[in-house]
Amino acid sequence: MPNPDGSLVKLEKIHKWFGQNHVLNGIDLTVQPKNVVVIIGPSGSGKSTLLRTINLLEEPTEGRVLFDGKDITDIRTDVNEVRTHIGIVFQSFNLFPHMTARRNITISLRKVLGKSEEEADEIAMEELEHMGLPEKADAYPSQLSGGQQQRIAIARALAMRPKLMLFDEVTSALDPELVKEVLDAMIRLAEEGMTMVVVTHEMGFAREVGTRLIFTDGGRIVEDGKPREIFDAPQDERTKSFLSHVL
Amino acid sequence: MSRASVTDTLKRSDGRPDTRGGTAPLPAGILIAGIAATLIATVGTLIVQLVYAWGGAGGMTPGCVQELTIKLAGGEELVNGALGVCNVVRAVISPTQSFLFWVALVVGLGAAVAGLIFYRSMPTRRMRDQCISGAVLGIQSALLVIFLMWFRSGNVFDFARNFLNFALLQDSFDGFVRGAKNTLQLAFVGELGGIGVGLVLAVLVISQHRVVRAPARIYINFFRGTPLIWQLPFFFYLLSFGFGIRLETFTVATIVFVLNTGAYAAEVFRAGIESIDKGQMEAARSLGMSYLQAMRYAIVPQAVRRVIPPLMNEFVILIKDTALIVVLGLTAEQLDIFGYARQGYASSFNATFFTATAVAYLVVTLPLIRLVNYVEERLRSGMAGRV
Ligand SMILES: Nc1ncnc2c1ncn2[C@@H]1O[C@H](COP(=O)(O)OP(=O)(O)O)[C@@H](O)[C@H]1O
Ligand SMILES: [Mg+2]
Repeated sequence: MPNPDGSLVKLEKIHKWFGQNHVLNGIDLTVQPKNVVVIIGPSGSGKSTLLRTINLLEEPTEGRVLFDGKDITDIRTDVNEVRTHIGIVFQSFNLFPHMTARRNITISLRKVLGKSEEEADEIAMEELEHMGLPEKADAYPSQLSGGQQQRIAIARALAMRPKLMLFDEVTSALDPELVKEVLDAMIRLAEEGMTMVVVTHEMGFAREVGTRLIFTDGGRIVEDGKPREIFDAPQDERTKSFLSHVL
Repeated sequence: MSRASVTDTLKRSDGRPDTRGGTAPLPAGILIAGIAATLIATVGTLIVQLVYAWGGAGGMTPGCVQELTIKLAGGEELVNGALGVCNVVRAVISPTQSFLFWVALVVGLGAAVAGLIFYRSMPTRRMRDQCISGAVLGIQSALLVIFLMWFRSGNVFDFARNFLNFALLQDSFDGFVRGAKNTLQLAFVGELGGIGVGLVLAVLVISQHRVVRAPARIYINFFRGTPLIWQLPFFFYLLSFGFGIRLETFTVATIVFVLNTGAYAAEVFRAGIESIDKGQMEAARSLGMSYLQAMRYAIVPQAVRRVIPPLMNEFVILIKDTALIVVLGLTAEQLDIFGYARQGYASSFNATFFTATAVAYLVVTLPLIRLVNYVEERLRSGMAGRV
């Protein structure tokens, strides 16, 4: 059940303070189903914090987050239940190092969704194949390359069958030659119609895969539009300067 | 001889090239001299002791017996253990021992001087290492010899009679075993109970809610902040006078050790849990797990590995701390091993009981200390993730 306006995510006047630090300064953002929203902006501009308010890893100091027809910032909402519908992938993978790839994926299927071991295993293998890593099912994270670990992390999130996927600079910690395999997996996901919010420094990905581009600076959205249009003709001075540095 | 030609020709037993290079008579000789000096000072001294102990070489002189006689309260005289002690002393002051000391001293100092002079000019790494090792061993053996000669110049008789009169222990073997058993029982129960108390406290003390945290924090700070030697009598009197609960002294002591160890274990668990990257908790919560599920499946299994070495260290400390029950009046049945030593000392005025007790502590603690180091090494070098 989407939000009244048909969107999947709606952020309303979000403010976030870390102590005296005003990190998000009145963010309004609406994400439509099947959109790939790419967030770019200078380091420290609040991109991660913005992304993490969507699954309430950061609780906004002010404002509302609507997800799938529910105000998830209402304290009566069951956050754990909401999070089963929102997958997130981190820069540092955050796989559980004491579990095999397979168990990394099945643990939440079994303990959170209450699936049987067989069912969970089946889903895990399906997602590992989806990510092209079926032969790594019994490997521990420390035996895998960064690119493989990150694809396992994506598989783990997808196994929950989320309605929304969040990506926070998922290729930034990877060696250059491993970036492509992870980006390819994300492109495939986008083609399959997954709704995605992606914080990234991969401008090629932003331009080719993004259906919408958002530029943040100082905790505000300063530019919002079609990726190609912003890349070709940025309106805001800050966007211009940022793009001239990264392109 | 150039560096390259030396390294080219040598291979280690496993086939990898040995880059430390070859050796030569001079550095090898310095190393051998250092080793020889060390062996003469240590093994040589031990052999002299054994020869005198077994052979009783020369038997007991009347003077020796005289020195070893203890006058008891009732006018009785005790020369128990005289033979053993006499032999220890005779060996220490024997001309053979003197000869060994001087040989070790001369050889050791020779190795030290030669090693320090030549190590800089050695052409290969192995030769330099040999010079340095030889010099260090030489210095160590010389220091040991000087130390032993100094000791020997004092009143060896008095020392040996008071601390090495092992024959005195013969009649109290049962007490020794019972004391050892009680010490280990106190330490084991204290540690196991303490781990239980510590786990609960740790869960409370990492809570986000101040009202949950505060009592646990007060408990931990109280037990960490006051001396155990005060806690023991305090809780003894608190229970018996304050609450009117009459418990065996030994039971009260066990309870206090559990409570005290709990405070330290709680800090170990807290540190272990907090040392886990916070991304782990975020990943688990993002998958929909509750806080407790995330702890149970993601955090605690990783933390457990890290707390094993510090908990074992706590256990070693606890084994020694059980001696503090001496401040409570215990019956003979309840005495720990330190209490046994005190009792033995009180009846004989001889400190050999304490020597035996120290050895008993070491027999338990040394293997544990080695085990801790081994486990730490394994955890550090092992694959980060595997249990
Ligand atoms: N948990 C936190 N506590 C305090 N300050 C934080 C925390 N997380 C982020 N910040 C601060 O918020 C600002 C924005 O951080 P972040 O959202 O990570 O930016 P970005 O992802 O764009 O680099 C930074 O100044 C950062 O130091
Ligand atoms: Mg960031």
